[in-house]
Amino acid sequence: MNELLEKLAYCVEFGKINKVSPFPPNMKDQDGADEIAKQLLDGGVPATDILMKGLMPGMEKVGVKFRENKVFVPQVLMSAKSMSAALDHLRPYFQSGEAERKGIFIIGTVEGDLHDIGKNLVAMMVEGNGYEVIDLGTDVKAEQFIETAEKNPGSVIGLSALLTTTMGNMEKIVATIKEKNADLKVCIGGAPVNQDFCEKIGADSYNPDPQGVVEFLNALAS
Amino acid sequence: MQKEKIKHYQIPIRDLDISMSDVEEIAHMGDDMPSYQAFLDEELKQLEGVASVQGGYSIEDACVKGDHLLVGEVEFITGKAVSHHYRNMNRAVVFICTAGEEISNRSKALTEQGELVEGYLLDVLGSVMVEKAMDIIQDALQNDMAEQGLKITNRYSPGYCDWNVNEQKELFSFFPEQFCKVSLSESCLMNPVKTVSGIIGVGENVKFHKHVCHACSSVNCLYRNENNK
Repeated sequence: MNELLEKLAYCVEFGKINKVSPFPPNMKDQDGADEIAKQLLDGGVPATDILMKGLMPGMEKVGVKFRENKVFVPQVLMSAKSMSAALDHLRPYFQSGEAERKGIFIIGTVEGDLHDIGKNLVAMMVEGNGYEVIDLGTDVKAEQFIETAEKNPGSVIGLSALLTTTMGNMEKIVATIKEKNADLKVCIGGAPVNQDFCEKIGADSYNPDPQGVVEFLNALAS
Repeated sequence: MQKEKIKHYQIPIRDLDISMSDVEEIAHMGDDMPSYQAFLDEELKQLEGVASVQGGYSIEDACVKGDHLLVGEVEFITGKAVSHHYRNMNRAVVFICTAGEEISNRSKALTEQGELVEGYLLDVLGSVMVEKAMDIIQDALQNDMAEQGLKITNRYSPGYCDWNVNEQKELFSFFPEQFCKVSLSESCLMNPVKTVSGIIGVGENVKFHKHVCHACSSVNCLYRNENNK
């Protein structure tokens, strides 16, 4: 079974969705993440092991390669789609409580901003690294983040912004969240923000790439 | 000088002359990715009948004052890095151009259906469409100006270098509301998202630069020249 878990990780890393998927060309006609996840479950491998030992190692490699500019958005999306095909088989186990994830991550693009490609990439990468992701979408107000966090104790909030004009909204949202519950952890990201801004507005973490968010969450979870 | 009427262009998709390589290059598709040529051809065909690609401009008296531009009676604080490129201009062409909302809606729908790469490619396609549409308008402007013995600068927008995005509000004041069906939010986000706006300088002695990436701090720009990363 270990060999099959390694193969699943490879499928996620290189974006092999299922047998009929032509990508990547060197895996043509081979099983993809879809078939392998099912074979693992049929073979009695627990869903948690499939997540931790199959999906997560694959997604982590993608995250690191993306950070190092060795792969770009399309390849990450292929990996995310491959991961999603495998996760579809695991979802019933998470819903029943038979398998557990590492934590809950609430993500959204801040009020006034409608950009979502960066936010979506982070959501996919975090999900593939073993977290449940609640995506609130774009143009999200502080109250929506707080309300969702209150319904999901122990969750971590991620804020995204692409416009310099919405950095002010990010600051207000962080202040509102911290005023309501100073223990809630908030991380921020997006083209116009940086570590200095993160410190200025009292957010807990700034990450320039999705893998950084995963590392921040892993540090909190450990 | 008398203010000229706002000029408006409606641009058919076929005139944009979009090729797969235009999209692939910006999307960083990579050689080992499957071909999406048939997908893009079909999407462009579908858009042909519905997309509202349009743009236009207003020509105003203008001058450069240090790190400011004075356009008509409106002052833009562009910062020196940008105002430097407008030096010697005596007219400004204030423009808006949009690919319309159809392309963004389609991109969003595909992403929501789990067609992630296709959704992303259409998002990039929207960016390519609006830039190509603006290229057409800029070429026409250049020809018009050349007939009068005038030259034009590159196009620059609020958000470039030190030019605050907030000045979109002043820029939009040159147009009637909903010009080209484009609106501006409180946070200066243009809707439809695939819209560009900015200013082109005009004068007898202005300069057009082939590449200006080295002067811009927007390192995440899709169009940034690789040599200036």
